[in-house]
Amino acid sequence: MSTKGSMGSQIVTDPPKGTRDFPPEDMRMRTWLFNNFREVSRLFSFEEVDFPMVESEELYTRKAGEEIVGQLYNFEDKGGRKVALRPELTPSLARLVLQKGKAQVFPLKWFAIGQCWRYENMTRGRRREHYQWNMDIIGVPGVEAEAELLAAIVMFFERLGITSKDVGIKVSNRKVLQAVLEKYEIQADNFAPVCVIVDKLDKLPRDVIESELAKINVPSEAIDGILKALTLQSFDDLEALIGAESGAVGELKQLFALAEGYGIQDWLQFDASVVRGLAYYTGTVFEGFDKDRKLRAICGGGRYDRLLSTYGGLDTPACGFGFGDAVIVELLKEKKLLPKFPHVVDDVVMALEDSLKIKAAGVAAQLRKSGRVVELVIEKGKKMRW
Amino acid sequence: MACASVARHALESGLVVAVSRIQLKPLAASASPSCLKLLTVRRHGIRAMSETPAMSGSPPISGRSVVVKEKEAIPKGSTGAKETISTDPPRGTRDFPPEDMRMRTWLFDNFREVSRLCAFEEVDFPVLESEELYTRKAGEEIVGQLYNFEDKGGRKVTLRPELTPSLARLVLQKGRAQSYPLKWFAIGQCWRYERMTRGRRREHYQWNMDIIGVPGVEAEAELLSAIVMFFTRLGITSKDVGIKVSNRKVLQAVLEKYGIQPDSFAAVCVIVDKLEKLKREEIVSELDKVGVPAEAIEGILQALTLQSFDDLEALLGADSGAVTELKQLFALAEGYGFQDWLHFDASVVRGLAYYTGTVFEGFAKNSQLRAICGGGRYDRLLSTYGGEDTPACGFGFGDAVIVELLKDKKLLPQFPHMVDDIVIALDDSLKVPAAGVAARLRNAGRVVELVIEKGRKMKWVFKQCDALKAKRLILLGTTEWEQGKVSVKDLSVREQTLKTVDELIAVS
Repeated sequence: MSTKGSMGSQIVTDPPKGTRDFPPEDMRMRTWLFNNFREVSRLFSFEEVDFPMVESEELYTRKAGEEIVGQLYNFEDKGGRKVALRPELTPSLARLVLQKGKAQVFPLKWFAIGQCWRYENMTRGRRREHYQWNMDIIGVPGVEAEAELLAAIVMFFERLGITSKDVGIKVSNRKVLQAVLEKYEIQADNFAPVCVIVDKLDKLPRDVIESELAKINVPSEAIDGILKALTLQSFDDLEALIGAESGAVGELKQLFALAEGYGIQDWLQFDASVVRGLAYYTGTVFEGFDKDRKLRAICGGGRYDRLLSTYGGLDTPACGFGFGDAVIVELLKEKKLLPKFPHVVDDVVMALEDSLKIKAAGVAAQLRKSGRVVELVIEKGKKMRW
Repeated sequence: MACASVARHALESGLVVAVSRIQLKPLAASASPSCLKLLTVRRHGIRAMSETPAMSGSPPISGRSVVVKEKEAIPKGSTGAKETISTDPPRGTRDFPPEDMRMRTWLFDNFREVSRLCAFEEVDFPVLESEELYTRKAGEEIVGQLYNFEDKGGRKVTLRPELTPSLARLVLQKGRAQSYPLKWFAIGQCWRYERMTRGRRREHYQWNMDIIGVPGVEAEAELLSAIVMFFTRLGITSKDVGIKVSNRKVLQAVLEKYGIQPDSFAAVCVIVDKLEKLKREEIVSELDKVGVPAEAIEGILQALTLQSFDDLEALLGADSGAVTELKQLFALAEGYGFQDWLHFDASVVRGLAYYTGTVFEGFAKNSQLRAICGGGRYDRLLSTYGGEDTPACGFGFGDAVIVELLKDKKLLPQFPHMVDDIVIALDDSLKVPAAGVAARLRNAGRVVELVIEKGRKMKWVFKQCDALKAKRLILLGTTEWEQGKVSVKDLSVREQTLKTVDELIAVS
């Protein structure tokens, strides 16, 4: 072993930039949060899955200008393979579904809680990793699937004491944008890049959005039409713009009807500005937000019916959401809904004399066998006060 | 794509042949001595590789060519090229589809429950750490197989190969604010980069329990009692599994006797740990390489054969640290009641550089399986990181061997997916109220499968009830719903009744 002193100064005791340690108190909170993710998923009869944290880079080589792809935490492994620490879970899920092939029986209702990574310049003090709860339904083409997912999100919020006064879920459908683009005869392969750009509407000034759209050859007339369409907030206006028989209108109305069935309609609102920043959404899109407007999006998701075919499989209907572990905790702190997490035991066993240590061990063993949480005092010299 | 023999014929008649990478080598070996000009078709065109005699062993002559197709490239849509991705997880890693995930969750729940009953607190650290945490120079295998790389900022980082250094880092971070002892546990994924020729895994999960701040072997005893509790919970007995126990102070005493330098200590341990894997001559030669004289080598190897306290006392003296610690540990084991599981065996050294005292290893009796778990005392790790010497001990328990053992002993349960209720609308018009029924049942704590896809026949529904071991099947039919009722089939007694939704919830 290198002798004391040969290591020189102290190692850096902080975790790597942008990552977190979880000492006991923080771990208890995280466990509590994840237990709630799991319990909701379980009540909905979803099955838990997991995938490797390291995936081939090819899973994420989408060319639509997404931020998530531009901040990939990628590297070359010692065998020269281009790999990445996953930035999201959905591509891994799609890969696993494809792997199962024809043997797989649909629908699949899967959930996962996994750590995701990004590589970003640390000037903004942002995290490089977070945990994300995902629920996905593969194989159901109708919005019944989106409705189940939204009902699960609402159940999670309610379990934690959050109400529809605190949080809302904006809902829209990418078929709205698709209809607008078709009207202006924009190419289908511009669809995803357009979505990724207009998703940034609340973060960038309007002229920046316009110029980015111009850069991918969207004519100015179409730009106006797009930006107008994104301001709609009622089904009537939507129908007026794209017609009552349009896919978007039918799907949204059906989704809101199902929401009434679940009893979650107070949480939802139609808002055409919701587009989400991922390239692969094709239909319904939604986003949970803080009604006080202090925080970033709490969660987001949508339908992605063509992801599997971009990986070489058959088009399979799919929808899902991601729910991170950061914003929800900020929200709970704001609303004073975050419990305390003390370390609790049933029994403390202590030998008052060294000669009784062996017997004390036996007592502890018996108590633990019967299911009690037992702290056995094993260090010497503890006074009764302690 | 063409199979190898067809390809060979085609090649020899002058055609350009497209083959997959797997077929290339045998084809190159069997095709007649025409040249193989290798081209790779990448996503956006053809790029010629060098003429490679290395593949076929013959010199390049222009003429026939083999086109190696790496990927099919058909541009589709704006999300990028359509191509068949590899659906397998990266080499050496695992996916966890539902069945496998249920088993893993069951295993981890048992890790957690034992830790909880012993009043340990769970912690976690990043899976990525600075490489400096692992730059130990004692020749350990674990350090030689680091899954390391340079991040985009040029920092040398690695996927962690073990959890203990992260734990030590966190303890140091807490500094003087920390009150001892600490009893922490973790379940985390660890990684190694190894050549895949041996088909071994690159990642595994490891349960760790560590006690920081207790200098006496009472700490080792707590750890061993937890390990035994875990085995016992799973139905494993001391007939199936044993724990070999020794103490590195034995080796230390032997080395002191021969005047060997203390900074050779760790390297010596790492070498003699391989006694069961390498031939004696190799061990002898490696010890020689780190400067251990032949006489000492003999003494070391002799000492490792001891299996009784009497022999140990004869060698080192009754007042030696090793002897007293081991005796005290075994006495405590009797107190807990698990002495039958322990065996003093001086050959146990373990392969980590930083152990300083007690070392132990769980093994399957009458079996070829590798070590199930291992651990020991490491009183000087924190000081190598620049902190103060702090007594510490712990163990690591992987998720691979234990599962093999459970399978061998037929102790691995089945893990079916089970629900309480299945809810289905017999008519599309009832989907919305069906959602409401499911919601109310879930709010009452029932696990509910709501059938959301169209076109399910009753035959399928009954199959699902069996497959999911459902307790109740709840059907919404138009006639019943008009009366405000649903049809409830209690699957345990095979009775069907009509109930209002309120009644349904009330009996849930």
